Amino acid sequence: MKRAIDALQTHPATAPVGYDVALIVLFAVGNGVARLGSRFAITGGCQRIEADLRNDLYAALQTFPPKFYAEHSTGDLMTRATSDLSAVRSLLGFGAISLVSTTFAVVGVLVAMLAVDRWLTLWALAPYPVLLILARRFNLRVNERTEAAQDQLSVLSARVQEYLSGMSVVRAYTLEPRARADFGQANREYLRLSLALARTQAGFAPAMGLIAGVGTLVVLWAGGRAVVDGRLSLGALVAFNGYLAYLAGPTVGLGWTLSIVRRGLTSMQRLQEVIEAVARDLPGTVVAGALRPAWTEGGLIQVRPVSGMAIGAGAVRADCTEGGLIEVRPGSDMLAAAPGLRVSHLTFAYAGRPAVLRDVSFEVAPGETVALVGPTGSGKSTVGLLLARLWEPPPDTVFLGGHDVTKLPLPSLRAALGYVPQEGFLFSRSIEENISLGRDGMGPGTLRGAAEVAGVADEVERLPDGFGAVVGERGLTLSGGQRQRVTLARALTGDPPVLVLDDAFASVDAAKEEEILTNLRTALAGRTVLLMTHRLRAARAAHRIVVLDAGRVVETGAHDDLVRAGGLYARLWRIQQLEEEIARA
Amino acid sequence: MPDPFYDPESEERLGRAFDRRLIQRLVQAAHPHRGLIGGSMLLFPMLALAELAQPWLLKIAIDDHILQSDWLGLTRVAGLYIVVLLILYGLRTLESYLMELTGQRVIHDLREAIFGHLVSLEARFFDRNPVGRLMTRVLSDVEAVSEAFTSGLFAVVADVITLVGVIAVMLWIDWRLTLVTFAIVPPLALIAVYFRLNARDAYREVRRRLARLNGFLQESLQGMAVIQLFVRERHERERFGRLNSDYRRSLFRSTRWESSLYASVEALGSIALALLIWYGGRRIVAESLTFGALVAFIQYTNRFFLPIRDLGAKYTVMQWAMASSERIFGLLDRQPEIVAPAAAAPRPARSSAPALEFVGVSFAYEADAWVLRDCSFSVAPGERVAIVGATGEGKTTCARLLNRSYDVRQGRVLVDGVDVREWELASLRRHVGIIFQDSVLFAGTVEDNLRLGADGTVSPVELARAIETARAGFVTQLPKGLGEPLGERGANVSYGQRQLLAIARALVYNPAVLVLDEAMSSVDPESEALIRQAMSGLLAGRTSITIAHRLSTVHTADRILVLHRGRVHEEGTHAELLRHADLYARLYELQRGGAPA
Ligand SMILES: Nc1ncnc2c1ncn2[C@@H]1O[C@H](COP(=O)(O)OP(=O)(O)OP(=O)(O)O)[C@@H](O)[C@H]1O
Ligand SMILES: Nc1ncnc2c1ncn2[C@@H]1O[C@H](COP(=O)(O)OP(=O)(O)OP(=O)(O)O)[C@@H](O)[C@H]1O
Ligand SMILES: [Mg+2]
Ligand SMILES: [Mg+2]
Repeated sequence: MKRAIDALQTHPATAPVGYDVALIVLFAVGNGVARLGSRFAITGGCQRIEADLRNDLYAALQTFPPKFYAEHSTGDLMTRATSDLSAVRSLLGFGAISLVSTTFAVVGVLVAMLAVDRWLTLWALAPYPVLLILARRFNLRVNERTEAAQDQLSVLSARVQEYLSGMSVVRAYTLEPRARADFGQANREYLRLSLALARTQAGFAPAMGLIAGVGTLVVLWAGGRAVVDGRLSLGALVAFNGYLAYLAGPTVGLGWTLSIVRRGLTSMQRLQEVIEAVARDLPGTVVAGALRPAWTEGGLIQVRPVSGMAIGAGAVRADCTEGGLIEVRPGSDMLAAAPGLRVSHLTFAYAGRPAVLRDVSFEVAPGETVALVGPTGSGKSTVGLLLARLWEPPPDTVFLGGHDVTKLPLPSLRAALGYVPQEGFLFSRSIEENISLGRDGMGPGTLRGAAEVAGVADEVERLPDGFGAVVGERGLTLSGGQRQRVTLARALTGDPPVLVLDDAFASVDAAKEEEILTNLRTALAGRTVLLMTHRLRAARAAHRIVVLDAGRVVETGAHDDLVRAGGLYARLWRIQQLEEEIARA
Repeated sequence: MPDPFYDPESEERLGRAFDRRLIQRLVQAAHPHRGLIGGSMLLFPMLALAELAQPWLLKIAIDDHILQSDWLGLTRVAGLYIVVLLILYGLRTLESYLMELTGQRVIHDLREAIFGHLVSLEARFFDRNPVGRLMTRVLSDVEAVSEAFTSGLFAVVADVITLVGVIAVMLWIDWRLTLVTFAIVPPLALIAVYFRLNARDAYREVRRRLARLNGFLQESLQGMAVIQLFVRERHERERFGRLNSDYRRSLFRSTRWESSLYASVEALGSIALALLIWYGGRRIVAESLTFGALVAFIQYTNRFFLPIRDLGAKYTVMQWAMASSERIFGLLDRQPEIVAPAAAAPRPARSSAPALEFVGVSFAYEADAWVLRDCSFSVAPGERVAIVGATGEGKTTCARLLNRSYDVRQGRVLVDGVDVREWELASLRRHVGIIFQDSVLFAGTVEDNLRLGADGTVSPVELARAIETARAGFVTQLPKGLGEPLGERGANVSYGQRQLLAIARALVYNPAVLVLDEAMSSVDPESEALIRQAMSGLLAGRTSITIAHRLSTVHTADRILVLHRGRVHEEGTHAELLRHADLYARLYELQRGGAPA
């Protein structure tokens, strides 16, 4: 363009304008393509980083135990995985780019200014230290306020999540006004906090503009005086001003960039909090004591095996897979027979609570069925959770097949267990997928077989889409008993050598229970079974019964012995019998 | 593998709504903030003036003072300059704050509207729409809409003001040259339209996939224990990875449109420049244009394209906002299916009518998978009735129909002789209290949970009595007693304890009719017997329905209804039913005799 103008200027009559115009068009197209390319590369790159970050966060979340989820609400984690993650993306993408380009611009302009006049350059830069001080203070405040606002966003999101997933109760208790008020309050608080953040940010970019303007003013005034005194040419002053104006843009932009960077860093910190939560609570024991999530310089989360992994023990095989993640499969000798189960002198307390299990000892021989019974809250489920290491038992208290569970690689420990949690959870996927959970070698035959043992196959097949029927969130569109039996079928597929059935028949009728128990007797022959139940008839079918009361084992023995012994079990049994006798009369 | 995220008639199927209607809705949303918006708009001319004053002062300083060696005058101009700077600083700060204020207020209001609307929607809606997706709507879609106001509307107005000024000056300098510049407006408009049609689809897709991704994440977080128990981490991670890269790809596709728009505007700008030089050059040669005018004109053309390029970016923001507002307004426009009638029927003064009555009720959740078929029964005031039946027979469904979580397909459900569809919804639900099968507790203290829904009038004594009756004495043993914080869904107490709290909560709520749906399925037999005893005192003379599988729970009822194949198969007292020797008697024998060890 400069060429064209120069040409016009020099030989107005003969200038080969056509040629230059073509050149301009060419340049324009080239420029467009280049811009397109760089934009694609940059945004595409950032999006990729964001996606990787999200995948890594998800992978890290998967390694966290229930303890972690007790401390972080779903809403909070959702906020971190969405809002904070996109702030980090802005930091990486936009923030980094403009920071780099600003730096280049500033360096270039400085060099040019120094070339014109060293003394005037010093004058021009005089207001900039103020900028540094301002930026520092600004940084601190923005950090603080961003954090406050993001924390509140977590609260808001937790409210939404809780109320929406508890809608049946909201409806039944006419809680709508309360839900609205509660949400409204959190929403207002978020408004307040984000406006506080806005107030901090509002003044910053203009302040940068002000400083840049003052720079111009100083040059005008000091330079003007130099020109008046004849120490500087007017041309130099004008050129100098031009450079300074060039600096003003990036300076103002810097204010904006800094906010984005600051917010991004704060969000990064919030993500880091999540990752480090586990490193803190379970040093080195995220998975089988072998994985440790670590932050690398690039801000990426990576999970790397820590040296000296305890994997091995002859029973399992560990494969390092892509991405540094470890996939552990049970070795053959562990699955060969039903391993026995032993709990010895187990004392356990949930964080901040008194002990719920006190010196509990009992044993389940290979192939034996043992029932755990006891009043509500006596600690039955806790035993199961500790066995599966959803909560971490103290070392040398819980043993599976003679191995301390805390020393067993987590995947092989859990693969050996078929677990029916007390609160059945279904994903909003097809029933088929809910039973198989995508495990290998689960053909329709296997699934149906398991569903049949669990006594739910017929009902599922009666649904419009049969096993392909997609259930609502948490299994919302199934009846309570159907939901429970689907989770039972899920535990039965894959022939686990050990079964933990936590109150697995609570929501089924007597006839169904009877049917399932009969099925299980054949299906589970030779398996080790731990059964927690309030229905003493199911307990009666067990080889042995362990009675828990307030966290202690109070009795152990077969049904008849316990009834004869006249303890807690006998009392519970009598109550059930008595009810029935009265009813019979 | 079938798509796990089905949306047969979810709120996502919006079709192509008219932009005009959307904009109307947006304007409506902005209406409460018109003062703010207007105020911010007033700032723009002032800002423009202050900006223009700067170079002008510079010019005066150089031409009138420096060149004249007027030191005093220079200082005066410098003083003026600093005043202008300060004014500019103030205006800019105000502008930026006002913008954020408006944006955040819009977000605030929209969030409130959406959440408020969501809680009024019927159960069926939640059967189909996972919470994670709805959260995306409340939390992140609204942000795009507020951008429409801040980055979009405001900046567009500012740009338009600049554009008008530039065009005026250009026309004033040379109208023919201006027309040459305008020659690229039609292609620009074409590109914009093309972009809008394609980009909107891309943005819709982005929002949809983001909602999916978040839905998946939300569900994973809640079901993490299952994933871990069954060692499915890797499988789930791969699924998540797929959804994540689906999202990323759609985001990238949308970037493609955005970048193309940006690049085309850029390129068109350069082409306009080339045209100008070519045409202007010829005119200069023909000496009908001065050289200075052409240079000035080129400068102005640059000024012309700056806002236009910005407008491109703004346009993108607006398109994003449109894609999001489609979803938001689509949701807000979805009328709740179950609402109170305009005029609720007066409650009958005398209560000779049955407390509860099903008259020929037929109900199906989906198409023709009938759960209840022509089901009829009634419950007299003060009667304690039990409903039993095999699992999946529709017992819970009956309870849901009683508080109008769903509406019957045929027949009528009457409460106090009045069809539930004629009841005022809140008072119906105040009247009929239900303890559902899965007892959802909320994060908050134990006391908050117990007082849920009971309007602050509950005395500590009543609270203590409810706890006593529900055998929930364990709460006093918690470190902070009633003030102990409960986890999400009550995760930090045992399952049976959650049921006890749900019973206590219902007792505090104190409805006239109490429905217990498997309320004690995970409570030990001893506690259950004690609760039943205590309740029978408390509930004496109160209508109640107990749904249970454990027959020991139901045999004391005044009447037992046996649900079978969608209707009441037999009814009577425990003794009568045993004599009748049908379904109930068979069930009873099974339970009593039990399986041999
Ligand atoms: N929200 C829903 N959407 C679609 N179908 C549903 C829904 N809820 C229940 N169903 C179906 O309706 C039938 C009756 O369910 P309901 O929950 O009323 O049974 P129930 O008698 O309470 O059984 P249970 O004893 O197992 O709790 C079941 O087949 C179930 O699959
Ligand atoms: N996540 C937790 N954090 C703190 N305390 C807990 C947690 N889970 C359970 N508890 C407490 O530990 C005790 C034992 O709970 P557990 O779930 O093992 O009882 P349970 O015997 O299975 O009872 P139920 O018969 O009701 O299922 C209870 O007092 C309970 O309040
Ligand atoms: Mg339990
Ligand atoms: Mg039910």
